[in-house]
Order: sequence, then structure tokens, then C-alpha cells
Amino acid sequence: MFNYTFQWKQALARLPQMLDGALVTMQIALLSMAIGILLAIVLTMFRLSGIRVLSAIARTWVEIARNTPALFQIYMAHFGLGSFGIYLSPFASILLGITFNNAGYLTENFRGALKAIPDTQARAARSLGFPQAGAFRYVVLPQMLRIAFLPMTNQMVWAILMTSLGVTVGMNSDLYGVTQDLNALTFRTFELFALAAVIFYVITKAITLGARLIAARLFRY
Amino acid sequence: MTKTTFAFGLLAATVAMAAPSHADKLDDIIASGTLRCAVVLDFPPMGMRDESNNPVGFDVDYCNDLAAALGVTAEIVETPFPERIPALMSGRVDVGVASTSDTLERAKTVGMSIPYFAFEMVVTANDAAGITSFEGMKGKTVGATAGTFEAIALEKQVTEWGEGTFRPYQTQADVFLALSQGQIDATVSTSTVAQANVKSGNFPGIAVAGSAPFDIDYVALFTNREEYGLLNYLNLFVNQQVRTGRYAELYEKWVGGDLPSLTVDNVYR
Repeated sequence: MFNYTFQWKQALARLPQMLDGALVTMQIALLSMAIGILLAIVLTMFRLSGIRVLSAIARTWVEIARNTPALFQIYMAHFGLGSFGIYLSPFASILLGITFNNAGYLTENFRGALKAIPDTQARAARSLGFPQAGAFRYVVLPQMLRIAFLPMTNQMVWAILMTSLGVTVGMNSDLYGVTQDLNALTFRTFELFALAAVIFYVITKAITLGARLIAARLFRY
Repeated sequence: MTKTTFAFGLLAATVAMAAPSHADKLDDIIASGTLRCAVVLDFPPMGMRDESNNPVGFDVDYCNDLAAALGVTAEIVETPFPERIPALMSGRVDVGVASTSDTLERAKTVGMSIPYFAFEMVVTANDAAGITSFEGMKGKTVGATAGTFEAIALEKQVTEWGEGTFRPYQTQADVFLALSQGQIDATVSTSTVAQANVKSGNFPGIAVAGSAPFDIDYVALFTNREEYGLLNYLNLFVNQQVRTGRYAELYEKWVGGDLPSLTVDNVYR
């Protein structure tokens, strides 16, 4: 018993506002990935360092990021830090939350990628005269990033979708936030969210296809 | 064709003709014996839960009264603000008794009854923000509950001022948590909500700073736009609630103070 007359014109009239929101969504996702990848590399090095404190930090980070809901992480970035008097704007809160999550998952991806690189690679590099850091930087890291490239695309898609959790911390300029605002205004729930779903789909599809093209060009042997 | 099948065919045709061509929603509710109301239970004192987790509040009582008038059992379906329309359209609820502002924009999508309640808006501010009036919010960071009348009005006001920031939060509780922490400087909410939250002591460091010059927020019962039979019934029911003094009784029970008028001067509804 679904009793509703769809009024697509009403929703399409709001499309420009939603596309502006989509830009903010992409911005958050890209930033959180860029910072997340850097952090994940650092955490991976912490893990490999053999220094107990550093590997404990990396382990804890990964444990929390992977075993608690992303919603919780974002909520903590806003209200959790807020209770200590640290006020982050909604944009900063969602960025921090997703970056934290990305870094945790990517560290785990990198670990898997490292396992796929034979030990002999690093040893061969060392025997050719590379210092330990150099062997990691020039021999192991490029291979690791190559193996982890497609899992990284996955995480990028996940980051795009996670931006929708921003509404819990007062975000209203991203795609989901804009859609929800418009829904409150017009009650055109189905048209607006269907439109948002299509935009999300197009973005994530473009990312996965784009990544496959890049991978095909970049990783030819 | 044998005589028997012919007779059965005739009988079936007679029954089909005798049955009403179209049972409307009001018929469906009476026939099913249950009235399912969408009620927001995060909006004290209109809708909330008591110590034993039962739904209580003005809207809950109002739904029970409506069910009693219809001679059916009431079923309270908890519905957050943004989910009111999906709940109605997917047939999970029959009527919204959910403090829904009757804006013209929304009335293009759902059918609104005459107003059954009216809210006045007040500003509540964090003590540290130094806000003593509505105008004092200019240039500050303000927030409200997403999807409410006051959120829409406040966001518009911030845009008009051209300075300051507006943040919608998902629940009333989050708005007051953010206000109490100092994440936002002030909020606009219904006076009932503001007083309830300031009094509760859950949110230290906040106080009501004055009234907000928004239009009175009239809220309506809603159902599907084309269900005139039910909408007529709802209108008469709201009228009867006021006429019989039940509206005043419920107002005294849940809110207290001056009873808001539900009519607008110089115009018919």
C-alpha cells in the first residue's frame, strides 16, 4: 500500500543545491583520504619500527578504528572532544572522524600488502647498499602502494558514503545534509533521497572506474 | 454453463455491487480496529518516554483521544522528525500526531488538519555567549533541531543577517548538549522544550534569553493529502477537543500556563 504521487520537477528544481552539496562531500572524502593515507604510512612504519610504544600506538589506533562504528568515531570527534572544551566545526569533526577511520583501515590494508612482498626484496635492496629507510622508501613502499591501490579505492568509496553521517554533528552543507534540509522544507522525501542516491552512485561509480583506468595505466609491468 | 455456476456468478456479482466501490482510509481504520499514530518521542513534553519506557506526552494523549473517538485502539509508532512522511507514505501509520508545522510548502505533499496546538519560540543561550535577546544572536553560531519549523526559520534568519553560522542537529538532546558544551552559542526552540531542558539540570550553563520574533508555530495533524473523509474527521475532532475543554485539560497536564489560542483573527481557515 504505497500511496504517493511523485513530483520529480519539485526535486529537480533543487538539483543545483544538491550538486553543491556533492562537491562538499567529495572535498571531505578526498581530504580524508589524502591525510588518511599519509597517517596510515606513518602507522605502518610505527608497526615495523620494532619500538614497543610506537607499535602499541599503531595497534590501538587500528583496533579502535576498525572495531567501533564510524558513527561513534564522528560523534566523539564532535561531542566527545567538546566535553573537554575542544570545539571542532561540523566540517572539521566529520573530517577528523573519517580520517581516523580511513587511517585505521588503510593501515590494515598496507599490512596485507606488505605480507605479499617477499622479504627477499628488502634484503636484496640492503645488499645493494640501500640503508634500511631507503630500502623501505624506494623498494618496499612503491610495491606496497601498488598492491594496496584497489583496496584504497574501496576505502575512498566508503569515505564518500560515510560523509552522510555528518548530519549527526550538525553538518548541513554536504550532499546528505543538503538533502535532509530540503526534505524538512518540502516533505518531498522520496524524490529528494532518490536523487541523492543517484548522485552518490554516480560519484562512487566514477571513482571505481577511474581508479581501474589509472591502475591499468600506472601498474603495467 | 450449468444453472449452479450461473447462480453463483450472479450472487458474486450482486455482492461485488453491494460492496462499497472504494473504502477510504477512515473506513480502513474503523475496519482494522487500530489507529496507528506517528508520534515524535524525542520532543518533550509533546512526546517522550516515562521511567518504564512507555510513550507519554501531549501528542500521545491526543492520539489516544482520537482513537477513543473512533472507537478503535491506539498504536503509537515512534517516528523521528525526518521520518514522518516515509512512515505515512509506506503505510506504517495512518495519522501523524507529531507537532508538524503546517507550512504551505509541506501542504503540497501531505494533507494538514486545522491547527491542534501552537508553539511560541524562545531563544536559549549559553551563559558564556553574552546573548540577551534574539538580535544578540547575529554573527554567532546557532543551532536547532533539523527538520523543525524553528530550524527552517532560524537558518533563513542567519542567511538574512549574512553573518554567523547555522547548525542543524538530529535530535533536541544533541542541540542542548552542543549548547551546554559551548559548541553553539544559542538555539531557538519552542518555549515548552526550552523550559523543560533548562529545568532538567542535565544541561548546565544555559538560560532562556528571550522570545524569538518568529510567527506563532501552528502545528497540525496530517494524513494523506487526498483522504478528505479522514481530514474532515480530524478537523472536527480538533474542534471538539477545544469545545469540550479537553484541549485545555491536556495543556494544563503537560505544559501549564496560558492556553495558546488556535485561531487566527480576521480570517477563516
